[in-house]
Amino acid sequence: MKKMQAKSRPTTEFSAASMSDIAFLLLIFFLVTTIFALEQGIPLVLPGKESSNVKVKRKNILEVKAYPNGAVVVEDEQVPLARLRALVERRLAQNDKLIVVIQTHPDAEYGLMVDILDELKLAKCRRISLKTMKG
Amino acid sequence: MKFEKNQKIENKVPTSSMADIAFLLLIFFMVTTIFKMEDGLPVTLPRVETAQKQKREKIMNIWIDGGGNISINDKITQVSQIEDILLTMLSERPDLIVAFMADDRAPYGVVSDVMEELKDANAIRVSFTSDPKSVGAPRRRQ
Repeated sequence: MKKMQAKSRPTTEFSAASMSDIAFLLLIFFLVTTIFALEQGIPLVLPGKESSNVKVKRKNILEVKAYPNGAVVVEDEQVPLARLRALVERRLAQNDKLIVVIQTHPDAEYGLMVDILDELKLAKCRRISLKTMKG
Repeated sequence: MKFEKNQKIENKVPTSSMADIAFLLLIFFMVTTIFKMEDGLPVTLPRVETAQKQKREKIMNIWIDGGGNISINDKITQVSQIEDILLTMLSERPDLIVAFMADDRAPYGVVSDVMEELKDANAIRVSFTSDPKSVGAPRRRQ
């Protein structure tokens, strides 16, 4: 006679062995994907209330003017933004005490001023002054 | 005399509670993580190349939209109120960085007025926040 097979009972237990794997996977996933959103921008230190006005020689100043129509004017000559960097780099090479003054018209777009500032930073210009035109 | 059975020393790490530990950690982090969101104003931030990362804790945002509206701490604010707000903030955090979340097309006059208020409040550290998603993208103006 054939040997009787043992009745296989269906197991009712939940297998908890892989639970830790799942949990750790989720844990690691969240740890990796969580980005503590850093904000980025162009940092600048403004002159404070107490800081006195410093007299600067005219020849050490380069004025960059920004107008509402998007025009960027350096010394009465309109300069496209793409050429501003080279111009400032050249001037800095000639005069390392150069201070660039960004004169922005009150009705000009803020973005234009930021674009100029960005170009100046790209040209490694350290002394920058922000000025608003009398409207 | 009855001999005791030779007891074998178990050399297994009990892993049954690992899941509990992991879930506990997971739940702890999920609960304690707070995403502080400020609504501010809808702005299109300028694209720049020389942006530097700023620590979020030090930053206070000032929103300026294309129409020249100013928002601080989710409240529409007038220029004249800014100094008082900043003085309170600065007394709590002297190394505060004021970040301009200003629209690319915002009128510069408003930004300039705000900067004058910052100078009066002696909040001299500022940052012109740029669009973080557009790293390497060309600028809007050429």
